Amino acid sequence: MPDTFLWYVTRAAGAVSLVLLSGVVILGLLSTMRVQGEGWPRFLTTGLHRNVALIAVVFLFLHIVTAVVDPFTHLGWGAALVPFSSYYRTFWLGLGVIAFDLLLAIIVTSLVRNFIGHRTWRAIHWLAYGSWPVAVIHGLGTGTDVWSFWFMLLTATCAGIVLIVAGYRFMAGPFDPLHTARAVFRGSVEKRELP
Amino acid sequence: MSTMRLLAGRTLSAGPEGFAEHAARLGHLPHAGRDLTEVVVRSGLTGRGGAGFPAGLKWRAAAARHAHVLVVNGAEGEPHSKKDRLLMSTRPHLVLDGALLAARAVRINEIVLYIGEHHTIARAAMERALAERPAADRKHFRIAAAPARYVSGDSSAAVHLVTTGIALPTNAPAAPAMVQNVETLAHVALIARSGEDTGTVLVTMAGGVSRPGVLEVETSSTIADAIALAGGATEPPRAVLMGGYFGAWVEIGQAQGLTLDPAALRARGLSLGCGVVGVLPGSHCPVCETAGIMRYLAGESSAQCGPCFFGLRALAEASGRIATQGSNSEDLQRLHRWAAEVRGRGACKHPDGAVMFLQSALSTFGQEFASHPAHRARRSA
Repeated sequence: MPDTFLWYVTRAAGAVSLVLLSGVVILGLLSTMRVQGEGWPRFLTTGLHRNVALIAVVFLFLHIVTAVVDPFTHLGWGAALVPFSSYYRTFWLGLGVIAFDLLLAIIVTSLVRNFIGHRTWRAIHWLAYGSWPVAVIHGLGTGTDVWSFWFMLLTATCAGIVLIVAGYRFMAGPFDPLHTARAVFRGSVEKRELP
Repeated sequence: MSTMRLLAGRTLSAGPEGFAEHAARLGHLPHAGRDLTEVVVRSGLTGRGGAGFPAGLKWRAAAARHAHVLVVNGAEGEPHSKKDRLLMSTRPHLVLDGALLAARAVRINEIVLYIGEHHTIARAAMERALAERPAADRKHFRIAAAPARYVSGDSSAAVHLVTTGIALPTNAPAAPAMVQNVETLAHVALIARSGEDTGTVLVTMAGGVSRPGVLEVETSSTIADAIALAGGATEPPRAVLMGGYFGAWVEIGQAQGLTLDPAALRARGLSLGCGVVGVLPGSHCPVCETAGIMRYLAGESSAQCGPCFFGLRALAEASGRIATQGSNSEDLQRLHRWAAEVRGRGACKHPDGAVMFLQSALSTFGQEFASHPAHRARRSA
């Protein structure tokens, strides 16, 4: 196995993660909007968002693990979790670590959503809007392929679609598609004074 | 098996049994303490609210985590179920005995009677029964009204109403509270006296029977026995909905021989649930009934989670289209696929209960769903 193999895997998995994570953000945005049809009820968008997120996490781990075990970078496991702790490309790599840490919080809270409650889960899910742009800047800053045409095109396409959908979503509102239904229901199950 | 029954004593139409009559018939409240937990475990008593969890094991766990409030669940939000109301309206002291015994066994001081807000006769009977009790017993109790929604009867919703004032169902571990259905506690009152299981269940017979209503039957009796006791079927039945809206449809041929025994039903992959036995007459359309119930259950989502609120609505719409416009393979496929997508995706048990009901309809009435003519959807039975 050539000693550059791991480095190729890191780059490829990074590019795939960029595409998948952008997809996750787009699906997450779409799931809060009225994107639906007779054959596509909106809860399916949420399901797809979750499933694509799981695939993205797999490629992200591949990206991180191959970078850490690559003997050339000598990163060490601490550098994968603690921002700006790596001697190698400290700043740009640190951005990637920040994005990953934010994502980790989103993943963990999603797995234990039933225990922490919907409100807390939702609040932490907003970190996605911090994680994704930091990850994109990390890719532009340290990506080996950043000056190649295909990587530029990939990044521009992903960022473009996310920005368009996000812009549309924040103009359209309301932020929580269940806001009204939830308020109506809560009103119907509030404690009554006994006559 | 004990010879005692929950509904023994004066005729049910004679109103609530008073304290003196109750004590003369059954004797005073037995002096039982923590040791009663093991008696209940050995009796094999299971919860009668729907989930069927073993009562004794629940008490052990509640004592271990120092539960400080007992919620006596008489919300009975299940459409068609009448047995909890009947028990509170006619044998209120049995429920109070059971609640006091359970509270003592688990060392709980605070007991909340959680009674459906529209069940005024039941609440009046419980209030009067409380007033007849000595002050030392009375001081433990208070009454809370259960909002008239399907999910209010869920044990987590009951606890949330008592602690936070909003009956919201969740899977999250609630405050250290113990929730037990009124019928379960009435059985406890008898078990504490006899030392053994009562051997009966309360069922509500609904749908195509001559005398719909509540029956107390031996757990060894079959659904056919229960239908006969309810005056017989009004016409040859097509199927039985066992256990209410979170239950399952069973073809009449298979249903008739089933015993109304919680353990035996569980062994067959079914559940006594809340004890509703809904008889579907042969002339009624199972697809339209199922569509009506799905529409109801979709409307009872607490809107906490998208998969439940939007998913159940999509399932109700697809089954409604088959009911009103006739079968089409596209909607049928969607029902199967989406039902699997919704399951396990809610913050409470509501979407899973509704989806399991739908899946039992799809497997029991596969033929009807595949070849349904266009009907006007009837209201649920």
